[in-house]
Amino acid sequence: MIEVVNMHKRYRLRNVLNGVSFTAEKGQVTCLIGVNGAGKSTVLKAIMGLTPMSKGTVRIDGRARERETYEKVAFIPDHLTMPSYMKLSEGLRFMADFYQSWNQARAGELMKFFRLDTSERVGNLSKGTAAKYNLVIGLAQDTDYVLMDEPFSGIDLFSRESIAEVFSTDLIDGRGVLLTTHEVGEIEHLLDKAVLLSHGTVAKEFQCEQVRSEEGKSVVDVMREVLWV
Amino acid sequence: MNRYLKLLHMEIHRFRYILAGLMAITAAVQIGVIIRTLVREVAKRKEDILNHQSIDVGSALFPSGKLSFASTMFGIQFWFALPILLSIAVLGLYIFLIWYRDWFGRHTFVYRLLLLPTARRNIYLAKATAILAFILGMLAFQLLLLPVENVIFNLIVPAEMREASYFADVIAANQALPFLLPQNFDQFVFSYGLGFSAVLAVFTAILLERSYRRLGILYAILYLIACAAAVIILPVSNQTYFNPSAYLYPEEFFMIEMVIFALVVASSVWLGFRLLAKKITV
Repeated sequence: MIEVVNMHKRYRLRNVLNGVSFTAEKGQVTCLIGVNGAGKSTVLKAIMGLTPMSKGTVRIDGRARERETYEKVAFIPDHLTMPSYMKLSEGLRFMADFYQSWNQARAGELMKFFRLDTSERVGNLSKGTAAKYNLVIGLAQDTDYVLMDEPFSGIDLFSRESIAEVFSTDLIDGRGVLLTTHEVGEIEHLLDKAVLLSHGTVAKEFQCEQVRSEEGKSVVDVMREVLWV
Repeated sequence: MNRYLKLLHMEIHRFRYILAGLMAITAAVQIGVIIRTLVREVAKRKEDILNHQSIDVGSALFPSGKLSFASTMFGIQFWFALPILLSIAVLGLYIFLIWYRDWFGRHTFVYRLLLLPTARRNIYLAKATAILAFILGMLAFQLLLLPVENVIFNLIVPAEMREASYFADVIAANQALPFLLPQNFDQFVFSYGLGFSAVLAVFTAILLERSYRRLGILYAILYLIACAAAVIILPVSNQTYFNPSAYLYPEEFFMIEMVIFALVVASSVWLGFRLLAKKITV
């Protein structure tokens, strides 16, 4: 389980996060939801140690972040993080060189699934193709958790469909997924849990299925109630 | 393979074309100017033989009338030093770019570097070692180039017009080379110790800026001023290595400066490791 406890972050004299606490369980898809600037990406970056917290704790399966965490948790940022000069095949080799959790066979499957050409250079990829390759880099690791920052941002309908399709395959099955997205409506059926962020704090945390069956509301309905005030 | 070595390999691989380009420019300019100068000098002497039946045509540069490799080096100061200065400028610029290239552009590679399952100090050490390897690589290349240039000298200049010279004279003849290749070991350790402490201090300044952004620029400037002050405090108080009336013996001055370099290196490395591990932000 990923536990975020009382996370604070101050940036340019402003409290971006003001005591954020929530959990993301293994085997579930948890979505961090909030309006622009709510601090969703900052939470993911702070979990991965890419930006320091002013205060707070992050625990992964009960342990503080350490170097082995990066073998256990994959992070897929909102943009590709491989240098432009690299060929896609070189990017895969880089990952295989550095990560013990790298699964070459799975990487091959994903490259085929997204119809990516290994001889292409990273710098020449379109936004949609880069997003798919980004997903390959993150999902081909045998990790317990995957963190995704806006995996559907700015890409076309067909690319979105093929990325969403990944969520219903065994590539995700059994792992804990924590993602941020603005396209909640499109992937609502895939979500197990939602965490609504507002004014730097968790406004509501709920199981999507429970809200659907008990209150007859969709995630978007709850978002409107909580965030649109 | 150890992840530090993999990172080092990657850093060297990323700079390989620029390094090869600098080596090619250095070789082309130096060899080109040597060939041009020698061909002209030899032709002048051959013409004089035809006119006067003698090669005794002394000049300020070649008083005996014969050509020596050392004198040739003295005569081509500017063009010989130009590629060296260019290489120093490019390497100096790359001390900044080796960090900033990972932050800027469409695909920010620093995310991937910081997410590697290895101690973050390896990123710092790989970049520092890469810079050291580039500097020593260029130096080694220049050292290899000198005998090649000597061979070219021997091929162009006929034996009867040639005067032998020592390599120490060749290095001393050019103003740029004694700085790159000091003739005594203490001076070598001093110059390269100073250079490497400066590189590490700049690394730490860059990490301060990357960690605290706008406020970090101020911290970085203050840190560099503090390091520079520590290093120049002795020379400013006239306690230099070369000053015979200084209070300190040259050996004492040398030892104290070495300790100061070691302190600058230790504080830069410690702070750099700490910033990378705890404060860096993408």
